[in-house]
Amino acid sequence: MKKLIVILLLAVTGYFMVISFMDLGKDGPVVKNGVKDFYLDKTVSELKVANTITSIVVNFRGFDTLGEVTVLFLAATALGGILYKKRHHVGERSVLFPSSTIVKAGSKLLFPAIILLGVYVFVHGHLSPGGGFQGGTIIATGFLLMLLAYDNFSVSHKVLSYIESFAGIFFVLFGLSGMFMGKTFLENFMPVGNLNDLFSGGIIPIIYILVGFKVAAELTGLIYTVLNEKE
Amino acid sequence: MVGSPVLLIAIPLLAAFLIPLIGMIWKESVRLIPGLVLAFMLVSSASMLLYVTNNSTIIETIAGWQAPWGINLVFSPLTGFLATLMIFLGFIVWLFSYRFKRNVDFEPAKKYFIFLMMLVAGAVGIVITGDIFNQFVFIEITSISAYALTAFYTGRNSAEASFKYLLMGSLSSSALLIAIAIIYSQLGTLNMADIADKMYLMPTGYKITALIFFFMGIGIEAEIFPLNGWAPDAYTEAPGPIGAAFAGIVVKAGVYAMIRLVFTLFDIPNSMQFLVVIGLVTLIVAETSAIKQDKLKRMLAYSSIGQMGLVFVAFGIGTAEGVFAALFLMLNHAIIKPLLFLSGSYLVFNSKEKKISEVNGLGKHMPITSLLFALGAFAIVGLPPFSGFWSKLSVLTAAANEGMILIIALVLIVSVVEIVYYFRVVNRIYFFEKSDNVVVQKPRINAMIAMLILGSIILVIGFDPDIVSIYLHKASHDLMNTREYIDNVLSIGQSLTK
Repeated sequence: MKKLIVILLLAVTGYFMVISFMDLGKDGPVVKNGVKDFYLDKTVSELKVANTITSIVVNFRGFDTLGEVTVLFLAATALGGILYKKRHHVGERSVLFPSSTIVKAGSKLLFPAIILLGVYVFVHGHLSPGGGFQGGTIIATGFLLMLLAYDNFSVSHKVLSYIESFAGIFFVLFGLSGMFMGKTFLENFMPVGNLNDLFSGGIIPIIYILVGFKVAAELTGLIYTVLNEKE
Repeated sequence: MVGSPVLLIAIPLLAAFLIPLIGMIWKESVRLIPGLVLAFMLVSSASMLLYVTNNSTIIETIAGWQAPWGINLVFSPLTGFLATLMIFLGFIVWLFSYRFKRNVDFEPAKKYFIFLMMLVAGAVGIVITGDIFNQFVFIEITSISAYALTAFYTGRNSAEASFKYLLMGSLSSSALLIAIAIIYSQLGTLNMADIADKMYLMPTGYKITALIFFFMGIGIEAEIFPLNGWAPDAYTEAPGPIGAAFAGIVVKAGVYAMIRLVFTLFDIPNSMQFLVVIGLVTLIVAETSAIKQDKLKRMLAYSSIGQMGLVFVAFGIGTAEGVFAALFLMLNHAIIKPLLFLSGSYLVFNSKEKKISEVNGLGKHMPITSLLFALGAFAIVGLPPFSGFWSKLSVLTAAANEGMILIIALVLIVSVVEIVYYFRVVNRIYFFEKSDNVVVQKPRINAMIAMLILGSIILVIGFDPDIVSIYLHKASHDLMNTREYIDNVLSIGQSLTK
């Protein structure tokens, strides 16, 4: 009976959700000139960044990105904290299976390529699609591949937490140095250069590279923590 | 300008990233740095609050883009008051738990203090931000810290409580995101003042859909009735000081987000009545549940939910007087409930079950802690001359001026229920015999100082409520004046547009 009521309630809610979302945006937004035109204009004319998404993520809404980076940091820390008691015997895998020679040899070949691709994606975040979050995730998949292929492959937790902390600290410091130069938090204070150059966009590529390092270190740490958890 | 609101967010973030590094060299720093950061935030926030009470609102833009294009922080009498209150409580909780876990591993202690600091920073961010998506990010920061702190003892029960909280929290985050998407799809902006300015353009159907999703998303943090299933478990299973932090910080941030939506962003005429109804339901359900509890912290948790219901009722009255009463209630609840949690956690310190029956006769063995608990209990039910009396009185007068007799009757009846279950505990502390298998735990000196500070604030506000009422009047004026808020935020935007 209880379940029936729940299902009924969910069905009614779902029905009204579908009804209300069916024609969402059918007539277009009621406000035609939202903030988007300003972003499209200023990205090219003032920030000299080729990728508008990057300029929105890192500059216009850079404060949100700082928050999101912190969310990731907290989630990784929380996972480490919850699994802490169980990890007295570090170094043993909960999943132990020998991987085949093909996987071992192949992953050795692929690993540098994956890392290179990840670095490329976050270094060119302001020029081409992608950026810090995406590049960092690609790098972490490279480490995941190595961890799966070799059961004695290990990453130093200390190094990871150094990278994590330094990337975060420099992100905040770059934001604060904008303030000390008489501007506002996270405002660009470096020369912007020419559109489409590798060295352009002021602090935007620097911050995205820091985000890349941080995401890569955090996700690798997460994978390593979960993989080495012992019952 | 006296200070910069952005430092209230940036400095704790910087410290959170620094602590793992410094902790490798100097272990004591993981306890000290959060305290220093919270003290800095408290001083800076209090001086800014003094400034905005006498002068104009501080509005800070970020990344150099004026509203509505960039993110901005609004430090007004209302947001400044709440931010200062939260930081103060964060500091008290830090002081209380400074020496706790001294003999426990370094790693959990480090994480505890990082999460505590981020909990405060996130809640302050929720309050002072002027951007609706930025608020979502800070709600995420606060809730993730809260999940982690709930699971701090890594036992079966705390894992269950944390997981329950996590499930409800993630669901609510998605609802919140949908609501933000609806608003952005229609109005093309994320700035709160800009949304409030353009809200009349939005079709009513979308408006109501968005508001319902917002209520689903924020109601979890604000502990309104159907969405507060996580709270009793989380309060019970989290460490004692964290229960105090939830009641004083997280819930207050949720309530703020909710009232900002109803008062400033949405202009739906009947939403005030909705607040009253939802507040009354929460109040009655929670207080009747509280009377049935046999665990001390669970009882306090239900009482906390009930108080939030009363806050919503007071906001729902809709007049400046009602808002003043609600803010006063929030202030008192933020001082008294943490005191109850902190002293209560010492009363049942060594017991496994944390039952109310285990506090029997502790009045003779822990005189100061028991006295502080009794003081908190008397204050929260609203006995004169303690601070709780004035806030309940102002709720009743505000309701009486609007002729809402039913509210007065219900609030008074519920107060009697409250008296019953609080006095039951006080009665047990003083007039029952202590059983032999209860081990008394003497509070540490820092915990004692933290509790005494809260206790003395209750007495000071109780004897002279005028020292806070000037800030509360300013804050309620600030909340009622939507036009002023919009003009404050957007005027600098228009004059400085390049």
